[in-house]
Amino acid sequence: MNKKGVIIGVIVVAIVVGIVASYSSTPSETVNLDMGRTHGTISTAMGSPILGDPSAPITIVEFGDYQCEQCYAWFHETKPAIVQNYIDTGKANLVFVDLAFLGRDSPKAAQASYCAEDQGMYWEYHDILYNSQESVDSGWANSERLKAFAFSLDLDMTLFESCLDSEKYSKRVQYNIQQARNNGVKGTPGFFIVGPNEQQKIGGAQPFSVFKNILDSMI
Amino acid sequence: MIQTIKLVYSNPKYFLLASGIFVLMTIGLLILSEYIFLEPYVVAHLPSGSELGFILIVTLSALSALVIPMNIFRIKILKSSKQKMGGGILGSIIGNAAGVCSCGPIGFAVISTFGSVGATATAFLTNYEIPIRIIAIVILAVTYFTTVKSLKIECNLNS
Repeated sequence: MNKKGVIIGVIVVAIVVGIVASYSSTPSETVNLDMGRTHGTISTAMGSPILGDPSAPITIVEFGDYQCEQCYAWFHETKPAIVQNYIDTGKANLVFVDLAFLGRDSPKAAQASYCAEDQGMYWEYHDILYNSQESVDSGWANSERLKAFAFSLDLDMTLFESCLDSEKYSKRVQYNIQQARNNGVKGTPGFFIVGPNEQQKIGGAQPFSVFKNILDSMI
Repeated sequence: MIQTIKLVYSNPKYFLLASGIFVLMTIGLLILSEYIFLEPYVVAHLPSGSELGFILIVTLSALSALVIPMNIFRIKILKSSKQKMGGGILGSIIGNAAGVCSCGPIGFAVISTFGSVGATATAFLTNYEIPIRIIAIVILAVTYFTTVKSLKIECNLNS
């Protein structure tokens, strides 16, 4: 009888400890993924948070790699005009989905962006990566540098390092790469402009005029 | 030098060949390097900071168009050895390879097929794109001068 009581007691304590542990984890570690989120034919559930108004009628889905120099060119040459004219005005929003294929540091950089998302800083981290880009696998996006970028954004380093070192988002990045393949994306940057009734594919770092023509035709 | 060029390109076949090589190579490299896009419609775009890359592509194409027909002329008309043709072909291949953007469809296909080896190769071609193109141009320039010299001797031309 006594033994039974001890066993039941241990089980109860284990359950209580489990419940307390699950509730005591900091909210910054919680990721609210909408697993049903799709834009056109693309599942963006594992992609970035939405930049801009989530209810905007048009979504720009960008497939990119943080080490891709054409993505860097698009980020600096075309994106600012799109943000100014379409995202800030509520006409469109943007989702970034990783196609991290260029080098060994590419998936790690993508994972790091989601570790930053855990702390509500996805887009700030995304921007810092594209502003710091150097040659492919030259060390600019190795683990130490990725942690240094997080430090410069004043992120909680214990949380960030544990997230990055444990490869918490490895499968998320792999899922995104698979989405790119499923949708026939064959290079970065690759875009889908998803409107209310149609979706249009754009390959490469094309100029603002191309995006403007397509976006205006969908509004 | 001008006499040699006149000798080769006075034949319309070689002039056409040179024009074809120049147009195809320029357009091909500009598409691969993402200066020209074909979809959703044809558009040309020269991002700031990429002017040098553009100039190198045009120079490379022009030199290839000049050197390759001259070497074909040497082989066909003068029945010379094919040895010197190698420089022109090699320069063109090296220059073309450097133009393959690793972010683009060809780089993507290479990396998807060959994995980390493909990724290393395309990363090398991308990181050293400008120096590789300059090397290709030097090879083509050397080939051009040796071809002109050899044509002068073989055709008994006065300088």
